[in-house]
Amino acid sequence: MKLKDIVERLHLESATPRCGLDREVSGGYASDLLSDVMANSREGNVWVTLQVHQNIIAVASLKELSGIIIVNGRKAEQEVLAKAEQEDIPVMLTGLQTFEIAGRLCEIGIRGNTK
Amino acid sequence: MTKDRNFTKIQELTYELRVRDAMIADVVTVSPKQAIHNLRDVMREKHISGVPVVDEGRVVGLISIEDYIRCLAQGEMDVIIERRMTRDAETLYADEPLVHAVRKFEQYGFGRFPVIERNGQKLVGIITKGNIIKCLLRKLEVEYHEEEIHHYRASHIFEDIVADKTNLVLKYEIAGKDFDRAGQSASRLKKTLHRLGIRPEIVRRIAIVAFEAEINIIVFTDGGRLTVSVCSDRITIGASDNGPGIPDTEQAMQPSFSTAPDWIREMGFGAGMGLCNIRNCADEMSLASQIGKGTNLEVVIYLNGNEADKDVRRQNEAS
Amino acid sequence: MTLEEISKTIEAEVLVGQDSLKTEVKIGCASDLMSDVLAFAKPDAILLTGLANRQVIYTANVADIHAICFIRGKEPDEKTLKLAEQKGIVLMTTRLPMFVSCGRLFKNGLTGLGYLDISKRNDQR
Repeated sequence: MKLKDIVERLHLESATPRCGLDREVSGGYASDLLSDVMANSREGNVWVTLQVHQNIIAVASLKELSGIIIVNGRKAEQEVLAKAEQEDIPVMLTGLQTFEIAGRLCEIGIRGNTK
Repeated sequence: MTKDRNFTKIQELTYELRVRDAMIADVVTVSPKQAIHNLRDVMREKHISGVPVVDEGRVVGLISIEDYIRCLAQGEMDVIIERRMTRDAETLYADEPLVHAVRKFEQYGFGRFPVIERNGQKLVGIITKGNIIKCLLRKLEVEYHEEEIHHYRASHIFEDIVADKTNLVLKYEIAGKDFDRAGQSASRLKKTLHRLGIRPEIVRRIAIVAFEAEINIIVFTDGGRLTVSVCSDRITIGASDNGPGIPDTEQAMQPSFSTAPDWIREMGFGAGMGLCNIRNCADEMSLASQIGKGTNLEVVIYLNGNEADKDVRRQNEAS
Repeated sequence: MTLEEISKTIEAEVLVGQDSLKTEVKIGCASDLMSDVLAFAKPDAILLTGLANRQVIYTANVADIHAICFIRGKEPDEKTLKLAEQKGIVLMTTRLPMFVSCGRLFKNGLTGLGYLDISKRNDQR
């Protein structure tokens, strides 16, 4: 499934219009702890978090994640979005919480990482 | 879980309450040099079956209705109490936790124990199983009131505490960088507020404010204090510290704004919602800070919330 | 769902509160950050988190949350277990990651809190 399908089906708002959403999603990862995402996320994962600071872009870029979904209706700062577009990491927003977004992602077929 | 909660609460209370909280201070006593026949009126009028024998304020023995009856049977009504009383009576100290009293009752099977002061060993009261149960129930009762009674109680809180004070102040010292205990003061405060009979929704708001204020002090300063003042119509929470201060309080109030370093976020703090959570829970709030001097936060939460506030609260809680 | 059903659904081992497993829970809350839990959590919720320290217990206590499940195989220390027992909070742990745990529980009927809008909330004040 591609990111743009997810954005459409889950009514997400794209905060980085310059980033293409035409990329494959390998699975989903939900965590607010950077060290955990660094250790356990996989390339192509879409990352669900409520963290909105600069370092999420660095982590997503390093792990080559397909994109970041920020929950709870939170908004990332302008500098963070600018960096996201620079690194080509799409940032999407939702008013739902982590629990529900993860639930809905699973519902439409995005899996978690298996061992 | 409710049944277990009740049981745990009672247990908790027996550790927290002291013997002096449950005892009767107005004790009927007799002196060792009195004749036994004096006991008849004491026991009959006061409906008690055992009396501490007291000499110059100190318990020297215990005399029971059985002792009296035995003397009656043996025609010993003029014998003085000293010669028929049980010496070395078991007693309890006024400052002992109530759980000791409970254990002692189980151990000895007696009906009552005289209560004495640690310093000087003077008699200050008497305690029975019934007194303990009444005391625990009275404390527990605070938890289970209905809406109107909560409202009533909120403005009569002080009858339960100390009669000559007009408000109750709770103080908590918070050590800077003490991450291990982060949240402990807020949790303790919450328990105390429940005991005071304040409505659960209001207790939650106060506890959240205290929690966030506590975390801010721990994460960003070298230490500070939380002062919670309970009045009949409102609760004021003050959080103060001695530095480093907030450069831009407007910016700090923005959701998501946080200056916390990553290692702090890894511990679960610093998502930038602290001050927002506080503002959402407060009826009145003021934040003042000076670089190098420190920060002062003051939050007021009304106990009797007016109608307009209630609607806003309901909306927030429903969302 | 009852806590018992939850523990089966996400393969969680119950660490504290074995006799409270019949408790019903309606809402799932997944977070590693304390303030988030306080901002939006509701009673009748189970908290899924990767943080297994004492602060999580205090947070849950302040937010009136009665059950916590640690994910990614996280387990709290003795002190934290005792604290949870004291505060009457059920603790479980699962090796499953957060994403999968949320997915399974959501599928089985646990809901979130719906759409949240922080900016709107601030304006109401």
